[in-house]
Amino acid sequence: MPEITIDPTTRIEGHHGTTLQVEDGVVQEAKSEMKMFRGAEIITLGRPPTDAAQITGMVCGVCFLCHRLCSSKAAEDAAMNAGVFDGPPRNAVLLRDAAEGIFYLWNHAVHLFALVGPDYSDAVAGTGFDRLDPLEGDGYMGAIENQRKLMKALAEFGGRAPHPVGYVPGGLAVQPDASTIASVKSRVMEVSNWLGPTEAVPEVIENVQNGEFDPELGEGLHDIVSILVAAAEAGAADIGEGPNRYYSNGIFEDPDTGDLFLPRGVYRDGSVELMSKDEIVEGITEDTEYSWYTDDSGGDPRTAKPPEPDLDKEEAYSWGKAPRFDGESMEVGPIARLVIKEADPFDLREALGGGAAESNTLNRLIARAQEALLVRDQVVEWLDAIDPAEPFMADDWTDDFTGRGVGLFEPSRGALSHYMDVENGQIEQYQIITPTLWNLGPRDGEGQPSILEEALVGDEVDNVDNPLNVMRTIRSMDPCLACAVHVQGPDGEFEAEVEPVRPGMSEGGCDV
Amino acid sequence: MQAIPDTSRRNFLRLAGAAAAGSVITNHSTEIASAFERAVEGNMDVVWLQGQACTGCTISTLQAQYPTLEEALQQFRLDVTFHPTIMPEAGNEAMDAMSDEPDILIVEGSVPVDMPEAATVGRNPDGSAKAVVDWVMELAPEADIVVGVGNCASFGGWPAAQNKKGLYGLGDNITGAKGLQFEKRSAGGVLGPDFTSGLDLPVVNLGGCPPNPDYVLLTLATVLNGHIPELDRYNRPKPFYEPLVHDNCPLRGYFDRGEWAEKPGDDGCLLKVGCAGPYTRCDDMSRLWNDGTSVCLNVGAPCIGCMEPGFWDRFSPFREEIEESAILGPLSTTQAGAAGVVAAAAGIGAHVARKAMGYGTFEDGEEPPENQEPPGDQGPPGDQGPPGDQDQPGNQDQPEKPESNAD
Repeated sequence: MPEITIDPTTRIEGHHGTTLQVEDGVVQEAKSEMKMFRGAEIITLGRPPTDAAQITGMVCGVCFLCHRLCSSKAAEDAAMNAGVFDGPPRNAVLLRDAAEGIFYLWNHAVHLFALVGPDYSDAVAGTGFDRLDPLEGDGYMGAIENQRKLMKALAEFGGRAPHPVGYVPGGLAVQPDASTIASVKSRVMEVSNWLGPTEAVPEVIENVQNGEFDPELGEGLHDIVSILVAAAEAGAADIGEGPNRYYSNGIFEDPDTGDLFLPRGVYRDGSVELMSKDEIVEGITEDTEYSWYTDDSGGDPRTAKPPEPDLDKEEAYSWGKAPRFDGESMEVGPIARLVIKEADPFDLREALGGGAAESNTLNRLIARAQEALLVRDQVVEWLDAIDPAEPFMADDWTDDFTGRGVGLFEPSRGALSHYMDVENGQIEQYQIITPTLWNLGPRDGEGQPSILEEALVGDEVDNVDNPLNVMRTIRSMDPCLACAVHVQGPDGEFEAEVEPVRPGMSEGGCDV
Repeated sequence: MQAIPDTSRRNFLRLAGAAAAGSVITNHSTEIASAFERAVEGNMDVVWLQGQACTGCTISTLQAQYPTLEEALQQFRLDVTFHPTIMPEAGNEAMDAMSDEPDILIVEGSVPVDMPEAATVGRNPDGSAKAVVDWVMELAPEADIVVGVGNCASFGGWPAAQNKKGLYGLGDNITGAKGLQFEKRSAGGVLGPDFTSGLDLPVVNLGGCPPNPDYVLLTLATVLNGHIPELDRYNRPKPFYEPLVHDNCPLRGYFDRGEWAEKPGDDGCLLKVGCAGPYTRCDDMSRLWNDGTSVCLNVGAPCIGCMEPGFWDRFSPFREEIEESAILGPLSTTQAGAAGVVAAAAGIGAHVARKAMGYGTFEDGEEPPENQEPPGDQGPPGDQGPPGDQDQPGNQDQPEKPESNAD
């Protein structure tokens, strides 16, 4: 059986490779290999809780804000459990919602236009759709320009972006005045206008199908719809099929009611189960059978030790761990959030993707586009609800306590959880479970593949030199490896000869 | 090749003109700007490698405004043959596209030396994964200029942060993460202290977590226009890394009056909640981030010292005051405010008052301070400087300062 190795996976964050067993042009088995290790949890130990947000925020330069906030929530939870902290102020909750919402828009735009978009553009796939050609197409360039405006909005509160420093445990360092908030709002509105009016989606779909382009209806919307239509025509609904099991930590908390705009829960056996934080935490375990970690590095993340590298495990092929919910793999990301919210704006997933709850390569893209439209108006509402006269930072935040806490968060890529144990103001235990681990981790001890490994099985490889559909499926999950902490086998040996793989453009680099 | 928009050239000129005094960029702004108009002979091959990276430096560079990354790529005729986040190709084709004799090698992320498998990209001919350290060793000697973008590639950065609990026998530096030519504040790094690139330069270090995007593109502009950037003792371009954060701090008045914040967001100087501004050199306080939007201290957040070698452990715990004796020499922080008030009352300039307290700017022609040591004779006995890094500047491991050949 020919083995195909793709290394590196490009247009994602981080070091990743994939090894495929292919028979009769169909993928029989896939291994998702994470190829970088730094030791985030180990580095975080022995430091005060506040520093964890600083360190883990810089674990990833793409999802920086999410780790910073998730770690802050873990620290705040631990301090609340210890009885020394009453929680962040209302303004901080609203501003975190708004900032993370802006981050969603930023990440979804960068992903759809610059990372996955080219897979359906002329330069990469020969589709004739050249607006998303890397660093050349007008659509690609427009997205690069607009993402700057969103980063400026994040920098207004955080001092800079990426890696802002203004978001801290206990609330926010910054006390934005009304004009700063107005400035952020206007930047969001600018990008929103570039995107185009939500209600224009049906008309834009019609335009795209007729080969028309009406900038009045939103340049961004036309490009996104073009990606979706091109993906549908390329058969993306029939590739990358997952197990239709989803999990979301939920996000965007109403500070007055505690309700989540995107709810928390799981979807399995065809139905949604909304869950409490405790129910979610109870359900999660990690497995290290195929990871370069000792066997006892897995288990319940609340009690498991920080992952200990084990370079001698012959069967291991990733330093990603395999997180499971009630023992099952779960897909995370925009599609998980919208399935659990039971939202399918314009019935796009139902109509184009074979069903609103169907896990496939096309529906992951559709859900991302739908979510961008859903969230952008909310961001403005959250900003409007902030009262600049009220505090943004809690008076009683302190690192000096003994307690344990869990932060559940929901970055654009999917469910994220941080676990923190503090003794006398010093971190004794730390665990991070990232969205990319849920989607792209290795198998578990039961032999159960991760979401990506399962999704790639059955994908057709017409040309072993150019498994474009495989790349489309990998990138549809918006993988981000930096925070997933991992590596490739220490001896660097691979069983079979590597077949050349040639997805993408003809020759050379991206000449510009 | 797209037409060069006039607006961007104007913006670039404005930026070049605003750069710090004494910089090659100021001195040669006209010529640098002319790089926009003058076609470089042939394309310059650029390879942008990622070691133990978070892609934050790439994302930062994507935020550049004057010039933007796109403008820089178009106008400087850079041909990026390999950049994992933006290139169209994947797999072997991506590796085939990579120039094996790049004119410019940019590295983002640290390079694990003790555990080379901790960052790999592509394969060796035998099919095994190829370590980033091997790529660096192969490509760096071929390049005209090698640039370490970010604190990790320059000094080891995040992955080199201490294993404080000493877990699992992994050592202080878990994977042996190093910068290209430094490990924290010690010269050496992956390429060794004597490495020079084709232009006879050491690795140009753009420290920062991440560095300001302007630093990356303006450094490239300087080199492409035929100038050699003047570097400081950590091989950072002086124009960017000479100003002291503390000297340009918006909260400076609080410091001079001895008014201290008890937590971030409070009114007052953030020194006592861990601000590293007195130790940290970058011009971000005047340059600002994200198209002039803001900077860390503008949002009430203490400087974390990310531009400096030895960041992280040198400045952590981040929320605790860094040894006050190290900052202020013979004066305590309480006395500092009083000294400022006295100096003002006596009509002594703030500059002199700052020098009296053992930090601050230096006169023209004077040596730039070596990353803010306490004044030698006046420091209390046994003062070892900021905690967390025992490699003091000025030890014999430090490289010779490169010849200043700014013109």
